[in-house]
Amino acid sequence: MVEMVLNTVRMVDFDQAREHTFGDDKSLEDNLAIGIINPQDFKKMNLTPNLHLKLNNRFGEVIVKIKENKKIPQGLILMPVSIWANQVSGTERNELSLKNIKVDVELTKEPILSFKDLIKKIKRP
Amino acid sequence: MKKVPCSGCSLLCDDIIIKSDGLYIDEVIGACLKGKERFDQITAKNRILAPLIHKNGQLEKVSWDEALNKTIELIKDSEKPLLYGFSNSSCEAQLKGIELAKTINGFIDSNATICQGKVLEIAKETGITLTTITELINKADLIILWGANAAESIPRLLNKVLFSRGKYRMTGREIKTLIIVDPVQTASFNVMGVRDLSLFIEPNKDLDLIRALKEECCTVDSFPSEGVAGLDSDDLKRLLMHLSGTENGVIFIGQGLLSPQIESHVIKELLELIQLINLKQQKGRISVILLGGHFNMTGFDQVSLPIYGKNGGLQFNEGQLVDTNDTIISKIENDDFDCSIIVGTDPISHLPYGLSKKLASRPLIVIDNRKSATSHIADVVLPTAITGIEAGGLCYRLDQVPIELKKILNPPSKIPSDEELLSQIIEKLEKT
Repeated sequence: MVEMVLNTVRMVDFDQAREHTFGDDKSLEDNLAIGIINPQDFKKMNLTPNLHLKLNNRFGEVIVKIKENKKIPQGLILMPVSIWANQVSGTERNELSLKNIKVDVELTKEPILSFKDLIKKIKRP
Repeated sequence: MKKVPCSGCSLLCDDIIIKSDGLYIDEVIGACLKGKERFDQITAKNRILAPLIHKNGQLEKVSWDEALNKTIELIKDSEKPLLYGFSNSSCEAQLKGIELAKTINGFIDSNATICQGKVLEIAKETGITLTTITELINKADLIILWGANAAESIPRLLNKVLFSRGKYRMTGREIKTLIIVDPVQTASFNVMGVRDLSLFIEPNKDLDLIRALKEECCTVDSFPSEGVAGLDSDDLKRLLMHLSGTENGVIFIGQGLLSPQIESHVIKELLELIQLINLKQQKGRISVILLGGHFNMTGFDQVSLPIYGKNGGLQFNEGQLVDTNDTIISKIENDDFDCSIIVGTDPISHLPYGLSKKLASRPLIVIDNRKSATSHIADVVLPTAITGIEAGGLCYRLDQVPIELKKILNPPSKIPSDEELLSQIIEKLEKT
């Protein structure tokens, strides 16, 4: 398990508003259930493309697909703002904590929760 | 062919050309990706064209009468209603939202509260030097993006302020310096030229940098001897020289600076630093522009502040404004609501899971033109026209300049605008 810093960000290529308007549940998951890390971190963790990342902190837990990008500093994970990133963001003294969030990161073969599963978690019974 | 303003983002570009016969838009010229997508929303497959009510575990199409009656029933049953969103609505709709909150003794807040409204709140203490896009086009010589990825969030911003040739300057991009302060090499870095400065700051170290700059600014001819926040002393020296030598500089403050653990200090101290530099400046000044995403994020501040003296977080009781420091976050966090009315936004997609769960635990009414994570869990979904295309209205650009949006097409199925729908709800409430 490695400790990393998570920043939730808005990116034009991974945009939840666009996916909700023009996409479907699959495109939502494909484009938003992702964690972008530096290739060095990818190597250090002995990652392979078929493995997922499990992010865990005091706010919750989420499993996402990995994307590499050499422009991301080592030790940092970027996640597009979405229902997936929200699983590990939270509040501090009644304010949103969306950046510089400490997360424990480990490799997993567990599946990514679908949009429908996440909505089910939130929805009133 | 006609020229219309675009409601794709808070830059509200007023130079978009559309070809339309009044029924459809055939061509959009000059819009960025976000603008193009805004116009494409008219026919998007996830457009909501009829009212929906949650029945038997799923959303079902119902008549307007049934949906409005259910809405009124939920509001009437509520003692502590919450209204949230409004940054994708016109100022007229925002005023109606406030009127509705007043009618039902509710609490109303806009998206700005969790975004750039925070800076204005802090600026009440420190003061703030703002500027306009036109001023920057014509006069800017230094543009700083701090925690702001303008190339992706406001795609045409840099075209306008960095690559433009101004009225009062014979030169353009060649005399403009771009400085980006960010831990990540975002898409905005792609426009950097040789005279520009990339500052890859360590995550969460903005305050250290601001304090170091404040210290150096207070000392005559002082230059930093060592680096700070992952930046070396040469970079700091160049940054200081640009800050103190600019004739017309601007700092665009982005979401990257709004982190709660330290944010009040970061923003406060950044605004203080700017004042310090401006006091010492002999030939110019540095100003600030806040980078909000939603096209009328600034509008709610403009509507609320002159009337109520507060730019958000308005709590009404018996028609009167009640003094409170609550925000949408504290209201949800402290379970201080029993029903919510969400207008033109998708909190389930942008609020943490803990808050989403609480929001979903009470009756929820969504007013929006497209499906979202929030509409999936709503009790009632009321569709509205797309502001800036199917409905007009006043909006405020990110630099606080008012821009009138135009109605280009009639909405499908006689869908009302946000303003019209909120008026209908108020009328119905008064009659029942």
